[in-house]
Amino acid sequence: MKKKLFVVIALVLVASMVLAACSTATPVPAETEAAATVAAATEAATATEVATAAASSEPVEITFWHTYNEDGSEAKLLNETLIPQFEAAHPNIKVNSVTVPYDNFREKLLAAISAGDAPDLIRTDIIWVPELADKGALAALDQVMPDFADLKSAVYEGPLSTNLWKDHYYGLPLDTNTKVWLYNQDLYKKAGIDAAPATMDDVEADCQKIKAVDPNAYVFAADGLYSWVTLPFVWSFGGSITDDKITTADGYLNGAQTVAAYEYLLKLYDEGCIAPVIMGDGVDVFTGFASGTYASTDNGPWSYSILNNQFPDFKFSAAMFPAGTAGSIDIVGGEDISMTAGSKHPEEAMEFIRFLESKDYQLQMMGVGQMPVRNDLANTDEVKNHPYLGIFFQQMATSKARTAHPAWSQMDTIITDAGQFIFRKEKTPQQALDEAAAQIDALLK
Amino acid sequence: MKTKRIIRETIITILLCVAALTTVIPFLYMISTAFKGQVFVFEVPPQFIPKNPTLQNFIAAFASNNFGRYFLNSIIVTVIAVLSILLLASMMAYALARYQFVGRKFIYGLVIFFMTMPAMSLIVPQFIVAHTLQLTDTLAGLIVLDVAQNLPFAVFLLKGFLEDIPKEIEEAAIIDGASPWSIYMHIVVPLCKPALATSAIIAFLGAWDEFVWASTITNSPQNRTLPVAIATFQGVHTTNWGLVFAASLIAIVPVLIMFISLQKYFVKGMVAGAVKG
Amino acid sequence: MLSSPAFVIQDEKMRTKTARDTLTAYLFLLPGLIMLMVWLVYPMFSALNISLRDWNIMPGAVSPFIGLKNYLTAFQDDFFWLSLKNTSVYALVTVVGQLLFGLLVALMLEKITRGKVFFRTLFYLPVVTSWVVVSLLFKFLFNSSSAGLVNYFLVDILHVISQPVSWLTEANTAFVAIDTLGIWKGVGFSMIIFLAALQTIPEELYQVASMDGASEGQILRYITLPMLVPTIAMVTVMLTIGAFQTYIPVALITKGGPLHRTEFVISYMYSLAFNDLKFGYSSAMAYLLAAIVFGISRIQMRFTRRDSAVG
Repeated sequence: MKKKLFVVIALVLVASMVLAACSTATPVPAETEAAATVAAATEAATATEVATAAASSEPVEITFWHTYNEDGSEAKLLNETLIPQFEAAHPNIKVNSVTVPYDNFREKLLAAISAGDAPDLIRTDIIWVPELADKGALAALDQVMPDFADLKSAVYEGPLSTNLWKDHYYGLPLDTNTKVWLYNQDLYKKAGIDAAPATMDDVEADCQKIKAVDPNAYVFAADGLYSWVTLPFVWSFGGSITDDKITTADGYLNGAQTVAAYEYLLKLYDEGCIAPVIMGDGVDVFTGFASGTYASTDNGPWSYSILNNQFPDFKFSAAMFPAGTAGSIDIVGGEDISMTAGSKHPEEAMEFIRFLESKDYQLQMMGVGQMPVRNDLANTDEVKNHPYLGIFFQQMATSKARTAHPAWSQMDTIITDAGQFIFRKEKTPQQALDEAAAQIDALLK
Repeated sequence: MKTKRIIRETIITILLCVAALTTVIPFLYMISTAFKGQVFVFEVPPQFIPKNPTLQNFIAAFASNNFGRYFLNSIIVTVIAVLSILLLASMMAYALARYQFVGRKFIYGLVIFFMTMPAMSLIVPQFIVAHTLQLTDTLAGLIVLDVAQNLPFAVFLLKGFLEDIPKEIEEAAIIDGASPWSIYMHIVVPLCKPALATSAIIAFLGAWDEFVWASTITNSPQNRTLPVAIATFQGVHTTNWGLVFAASLIAIVPVLIMFISLQKYFVKGMVAGAVKG
Repeated sequence: MLSSPAFVIQDEKMRTKTARDTLTAYLFLLPGLIMLMVWLVYPMFSALNISLRDWNIMPGAVSPFIGLKNYLTAFQDDFFWLSLKNTSVYALVTVVGQLLFGLLVALMLEKITRGKVFFRTLFYLPVVTSWVVVSLLFKFLFNSSSAGLVNYFLVDILHVISQPVSWLTEANTAFVAIDTLGIWKGVGFSMIIFLAALQTIPEELYQVASMDGASEGQILRYITLPMLVPTIAMVTVMLTIGAFQTYIPVALITKGGPLHRTEFVISYMYSLAFNDLKFGYSSAMAYLLAAIVFGISRIQMRFTRRDSAVG
C-alpha cells in the first residue's frame, strides 16, 4: 500500500518537473498580456493606477535606479535633500533610490526586465536608450505624458536627441557632460610650458619638454582605448564612425582622418608620451594625475569631486581640448531619465520625472557638478558663477554625441578592440579600422 | 647522529620559514596597504611599513553608508544557511546510511553527481527559478542557493562518517521502541558532532564567501553581502585600494576566528572526507 | 514448507517493515531532496531546454526551438576553444603546482618536531581566505606599474628584469598572475591531505628500510611515494574539478580581457549569459563544460580504482 503511494508521489514529482521544464518555453500568461504593446500597456496601467490611487491612501513606492556612488556628493544631495523635497510635495509618493554600479548597470537592468523585476525609473547612460527602446523596455514618453511638448522645449536639442528612436522619445535628458583638458599647471611650468596645448602638435611638443624634466612622467593618460577616450581625438582630426544617416562605417571609421587620429595616438604612445595604463592596467588616471606622474588627462566634471575628496592638496587647471585639423571637439556624455514600459506606477513615475526636469532640481544638482540640460539657465547667476563648470559649457558648444543606435554597445566593443590591436601592433591602424568598419557595417544592416 | 638530525631539522625549518614567508607576504602587504592613504598606495619604492599610517580607510569602510548592513546580511545569510545545511544533510545522511529502501543508490548517486558538477553551470536556469519564486534581490534567495550547493558535500561527509559508527546504540534504542526521529535527534546527531563541525565550517566558508550568485541576483544595496560589496569598491574612475583592503580585512576576521578556534575539526574532517574518496 | 503459516506471517512482517522503512527514509530525505530537486535537478533539465532554444529574455517573447544549433555554434566559436585551452592549461599548471608544493611542504613538516601547527596554520591561511579578496589582492600585487610589488621585487630587488612587466595587459603574463594565485591559494589544502596520508604509512616500513641501510632518497622513492599514490590520485581529481570551475579570479583580475584572451570557459559562459544576454548559447556551453569535467573526472577516477586495486 505505502509502496504504491510512494510510486505515485514519485511519478507526480517527475511529471510535474517535466511539465515545468517544457513550460519555460511558453511565456507566463500575465506577462504576455502586459507586453502586448507599449502604449496599450502603459495606458492600461495608467487607468488601473488612477483607480488604485484614488482608492488607497498608502503612499505609492516607485523605484529609481541610478549610478551615483553611494558615498559621492551627488547621491548625498539626491537622497538627503532632493528626494525628501519631492516626497514632501507629494505625500502619496515614496521614491526608492537604488545605486547600481555603472559597470553592471546595463546587464542588471536587462536581467531585471527579463525577470519582470524592472524598476519604474532609470537614470540611463544616453548611449543605451536606443537599445532599450528597441527592445521594448522603455515607455514612449511623448505618448504617455500629456505635457511632453513643454518638457521637450525646455531642454537642449543635443541631449534631447539621444532619446529619439524611430520617431518617438523614450526619455528626457537628465544631465549632460563633456570632457576637457585637465592639467597639472605646476608640472607644466616646471617643464617650461606656459599654457595648455592649443593644438595636437602642441601636445607632442609638451611631451618632449615634460620628459626633459622628468623621464618617468607622461603628458597624457587615459584608462583604456574605449571610444569614450579616442573619439575626441578622432573627431578633432575630422574623422567619424559612420555617415550622418548611420548607414555605413566604411569610408568613415576607416577613412583617412580617423586613421590619422589613431596613428597620432600610436605615435605618442610609442614615444612614451601616453601612460601605459591606457592598455588596461597600471596606476589609475586620478592617482597618477595627483602624484605628478601624468601631466594631463581628458576628463569630466566628476573629476573635481573625486580629486577634491581623495587628493585634497592637489591643484589642477582646465582648458579646452587641444584642436586638431577639424577643431577642438570633445565628447558628449550624460544621462537620460526613462520610465520602463512595465512600470506599475506610471503616473507617480512621471511626476518624479517632472521634478527631475525642474529648474530647482537642475540648479541644485549643478552644485555637485551635474551639468543641467535646461536651456533657460545659461544666464543665471548660478551658472555664471560656478567654480568650474564654465569651461565645460564652453567645450560643450562643439562636443559631439556618439552614434544613437541599438547596437551601440557592440559597436563600442569593436572600436575598443580595434584600438587594442593597433596599440599592440598586431594590425596597422588602417587594417584594424578596415576590419572594424566591416564588422560595424554588419551590425548596421 | 643527533647533531646530524638537528642540523637537518634546522635546515628544513629554515626552508619552511622561507616558504611560509612567501605564503604570508601578500597578506602582510594587504594589511600594510589598508593603513595607507591613496597617495601612498602606488609609491615607489613600495613600503611595507606605511610612512604615514592612517585609519581613514577603516573609518571610511565603516562609515560608508551600508557597510554595517553588508556585514549583517552576510551573517544572516551564512548562519541560516549553515544551520539549514546541518539539519538537512544530517537527515539525509541518516536515511542513506541507516536505511535500506528503494532508490537509495540512485539518490546517493545524485548527491555524488552534483558534487562533481561545476556549480556555476546551472546559474542561468537557477536565475530563472529564483525569479519565478520571487526570490531575486532577497536574502532568502541567497540562502536557498547556498544550502543547495553545499548540501551534496555535507551529505557525503556525514554519510561516510555515520557508516563508520557502530549501529549498536541505535539498534538498542529501536528495540526499546524509540521513534526514528528521537533516535536521530538524541543519538545520531550527538554522535556526529565532529563531522557536523567540519560540515559547518566548510558550509560557513562557502556561504560567507559566496560571490557569483550574490552578484547575479542582488540589486539593492540593502541586500548586498560582503563579497559583492568589496568587489564593487573597485570604482569606475579610480580604485581606492586602501579602502578595498580595509574592507577585506574586516570581512576576513570572522573567518579567521572561526578557523583558528575550530581548526582541528576542520583538518580532521577534510582529511576524512578526502581520504575516504 | 515455504508456504507454512509461520513463514507467511514472517514474510508479511518483513514487507511491512520494509515499506515503513522506506517511508521513514523518504521523510528524512524529503527536505534536502526538495532543495536538490528545485535548485539542482530541475535547473539541470531546464538548462538543457534553454540550450536547445534561441532563448529570448524579454517577458512574453517567444523562444524558438533550434535543436543543437547552440552546441554547433560552440564548436565553431574560436573563443570557446581558446577559453577551453586557457582553462585546461590553468588546470594543468595549478594542479601540478599544488600537488608538488603541497607534497613538499607536507614532507618537510613531517620531519620537524616543533612548530608544526604554527606552519600548518600559516600555509592554510590562503585556503580559507575569500576568492574575492585574494583576487583583488593579486591584481594589486601584479599591477603593471613599477609600484606593483611583484615588479618591484623582480626589478629592484632581485634584478632579474630591467623594466616592470605589464602583467595584466598581456594574456600570457596575466596567466602567470592567475596561475600563481591558483597555486598559492591551494597548496595548504593538498598539504593537509598529504600530511594525514603520511600519518597512515606504518612506522615499521621506515624502520625496516633504515635498518637495511636505505638512504633518505631511497625511502622517499620506494616507500613514501608509492604509498601516497592513491592519495595523490584522489587529490588530483578533486583539484582538477575545482580548477575547471575557476571564475572569480578571471572575472576580477582581467575580466577575460584583453580582447577575450584570458577567458576561461565559465567566465565566457557567464558573460555570454549576463553581458550579451545569450541565455541559450550560454546554457549549451555550460552543458559542454559539465560533460568535459565529468569525463575528465571519470578518467582520473579510473586510474584511482586501478591503482588501489593493484597496490
